[in-house]
Amino acid sequence: MGFLNSPKWIDVENWPISWEIGGTSWFPFLESIHVIAAAFVVGSILMVDLRLLGFAAVKYPISTLSKELVPWSWGAFVIATITGLGMFITRAASHVVNPAFQWKIVLLALAGVNMAYFHFRVYKNISQWDNDLPTPTQLKVIGSLSLFLWSGVMLAGRWVGHII
Amino acid sequence: MPDFFTSIGTLLDGSFLQSGALWALSTIPGFPPIIQTAHILAIAVVMGSVVLLDLRILGLAVPSQKISEMTSRLMPWLWWALAANLISGSFFLFGRPLRYFNNPIFGWKLSFLLPAVLLALFFHVMSNREEGYWELNSKRLWSARAIALLSLFLWIMVAMAGRWIAYVEYIYYPA
Repeated sequence: MGFLNSPKWIDVENWPISWEIGGTSWFPFLESIHVIAAAFVVGSILMVDLRLLGFAAVKYPISTLSKELVPWSWGAFVIATITGLGMFITRAASHVVNPAFQWKIVLLALAGVNMAYFHFRVYKNISQWDNDLPTPTQLKVIGSLSLFLWSGVMLAGRWVGHII
Repeated sequence: MPDFFTSIGTLLDGSFLQSGALWALSTIPGFPPIIQTAHILAIAVVMGSVVLLDLRILGLAVPSQKISEMTSRLMPWLWWALAANLISGSFFLFGRPLRYFNNPIFGWKLSFLLPAVLLALFFHVMSNREEGYWELNSKRLWSARAIALLSLFLWIMVAMAGRWIAYVEYIYYPA
């Protein structure tokens, strides 16, 4: 637990930029952008996940939806990460030991693994099931995991503020 | 704040709606963050439906999807999401009605929300009236673009104002 209890996290909280964000309207401003960006990450990935499950947008090939929507999810994710880091540094030492924050990071990592698995392992065979209905079980599992993990990220993220 | 608005808060204060909401919020373990997450996930559906459609109409996203097809497919998602938002939001609204109906940012939120909903409703109704209604000629297409731009702005402001309801209290009214 040395890493999480390191005094370095206190140093992060004392960076001039941390004080600037934490002591001004920058914090709520960053948080509103964070919530909007996070909602957009989930909203844009939702159509792809539901398509993988065979529930929505079934007229479109999976590859088309993925190509047109996932870049938007990534763009919003970058905004959410930057704004999230901006908030994190104002209370770094408390956040790293906050169980909700720890859950959030774990769930984010798992969502990333799920996405990477889809993209690097499954996607190369896309021509075999691009228009299939019902979709193969493997895709249903990936789509459900994505929905479940991203909802978990949102829940843990919201819970961070109730513990801190 | 207009009198009629603050009087809604006074009316709800102490009512059975308040005691019910407060009971749920304080008795069910983890209820506040869970309901807030439901509220945010429903906002995610708003983003994935009407906001995505707005971006499509403006020529920014999902070029392979047709506007009319997207409208009939996604608008029902918006209406269900808004119903979920209304229900999840009302727990907090009923729980502390005076807090909301005396908060100017909550007033702003509703002022953005009402035209956003009416605009979406108008867009949906006209789209149902005739196949490809919004793409029939350039005048309609430009109207659709104007609506999309305004709608995009309004939904972002609704979410923004929602988050600022909590902050305005301690930034501008230090206890």
